Amino acid sequence: MSEPRSSLVIDSPEDLWRSSTRRSFLRLLGVGGTIALAPTLFAACSGDDNNPVQPNGGGAQLDLSTDIGIFNYAYALEQLEAAFYSTVVGAANFATLFTDTNERELLTDIRNHEVVHREFLKAALGSSAIPALALNTTTVAALTADRATILKNAQSFEDLGVAAYNGAGKQLKDARNLLVAGKIVSVEARHAAAIRDARDTTGRAFAGDDVVIGGLDVKMEPAAVLARVTALNLVTTPISVAKQQTDAATADQPAPVAS
Amino acid sequence: MTSTTNVPILDAIDPEITDRLVTRRAAIAKGAAVGSTVAMGLAMASVPVALAALSREAFGQGTALPADIKAVLDFALALEIFENEFYKAVLGTSGSAAQNAAFVGVRASITGAALATVQQIQKHEAQHVAFLEQQGATSALTATDFDFTGGRGSGNGPFKPATTDAAFLLAVAQGAEDTGVRAYKGQAGNLIGNNDTTHNAVLEAALRIHSVEARHAARIRRIRRLAMGAPDVVRLSGTIRGGGAAAAGATGSPSADVVAAFGKIYGGATPESNTTHVVFNGSAEASINAASLSGIMGGTDAVTEAFDEPLTKAEVIAIVQPFFIPSLA
Repeated sequence: MSEPRSSLVIDSPEDLWRSSTRRSFLRLLGVGGTIALAPTLFAACSGDDNNPVQPNGGGAQLDLSTDIGIFNYAYALEQLEAAFYSTVVGAANFATLFTDTNERELLTDIRNHEVVHREFLKAALGSSAIPALALNTTTVAALTADRATILKNAQSFEDLGVAAYNGAGKQLKDARNLLVAGKIVSVEARHAAAIRDARDTTGRAFAGDDVVIGGLDVKMEPAAVLARVTALNLVTTPISVAKQQTDAATADQPAPVAS
Repeated sequence: MTSTTNVPILDAIDPEITDRLVTRRAAIAKGAAVGSTVAMGLAMASVPVALAALSREAFGQGTALPADIKAVLDFALALEIFENEFYKAVLGTSGSAAQNAAFVGVRASITGAALATVQQIQKHEAQHVAFLEQQGATSALTATDFDFTGGRGSGNGPFKPATTDAAFLLAVAQGAEDTGVRAYKGQAGNLIGNNDTTHNAVLEAALRIHSVEARHAARIRRIRRLAMGAPDVVRLSGTIRGGGAAAAGATGSPSADVVAAFGKIYGGATPESNTTHVVFNGSAEASINAASLSGIMGGTDAVTEAFDEPLTKAEVIAIVQPFFIPSLA
């Protein structure tokens, strides 16, 4: 039996997608250990913190026992995706990084769709919406450094989005809300397939054997998705689960981390 | 672990599943074959993994699947058999020599990565058929029950060009996949039940098949756009722009019957061009027109692409009936 470590140091954004880092992170969350960010990352966070933690209820609190809470969970993920693609497409060097017009169409489309998803969920949630999430600009810069890095992280984001919606659908109590989630998740799956295909020459990666197993796509419970988001160190606004989901969790088939 | 520690775990699970687990557990103890996920879960001594897989496979015994679930899964199985047999005919691996012969003209022009894609998709459709049957869905359909020209047995329906023209074949495949995505989406609400574990498990599995079909449709769009001269309504992001027949982006000069069929595939009571979506906040319903939101980019095109729309069961049957020789009604 291995001895659980009581601390974990995250040195670089690259560490954050790694499963070994995530495993340590999850283990530490479970035993109340300490997680330290290396000084460069930590310093980068402090300057971006526009939403200081307030005692008793600051940040983004999710009540996963209600449809509203599940929509807020989706809203949080869509905010991250929209921010990622907005950074990519809005960058002054977008056309330099992506000289192929087909790739620019792909990423611009996805940026547009994720922004629509974010704004739609925000409107649907109204006064129940969690706040806009503040991002760690150092992490954003690292995730969008160059073409290969962007496409790789886009793949991880899209597969994670598919897994998150597939895992959360059963929590929705109202058929209208489930339908809306269904309208969005298949678009995320289209994105995932398109990004995977843009990085692929085999013709199989769009729904590769790493992501579709026994004919079934990835799925993850909210806790596993949020742990991955936390480990990414992308969000400086604290995200917490105020109330757990009411419907029983099922076994995860985690979204793979792109390499 | 003693047997008594199993009791509270099983008590937390739907009683209907628990009953089945008892017999299933006895069967496993006697050395009955179990699916790979159960075996993996047992090998890993992972109770949640094994339990989740068991509760799924337990329904493979197929005695008393709740009627609402059975209806949805039987419908899904018919569509999956259709897709599976279609791709097998294209690849020349159908159990029916006549189906293989029908596509001999187009087969040689599907090569390289496009061929690998068709093989990967067919593999998934076969897995979906097997999975649904394992859950207790039933169907009497076989390879010879289909007419992939859309002629209900004449072999000379409006989709016959798919047997000789690769670009048209892939447009049809795209339509079949998008019909699948829309069909599952339309049925999801029928799987909510009482939010019990039985319904939740089936709903989740249906969602996980649904997103696979969407991946398929996206890749087919990219092949058509990048290699087969499809217009830019066929998005490289794999998404559906607009609605009605135009959303198919068919090339060449499709016949009026084909245009009408694509009109149904991307149309319906809630067409793919729809931009208004309904949510319920626990006390009130709200209709939100996403095209009217501030802060969005890409105009109405992007809004239609950002949401896929459902088809009703009747709409799906109207689309696929010409390809099925037996009546689906």
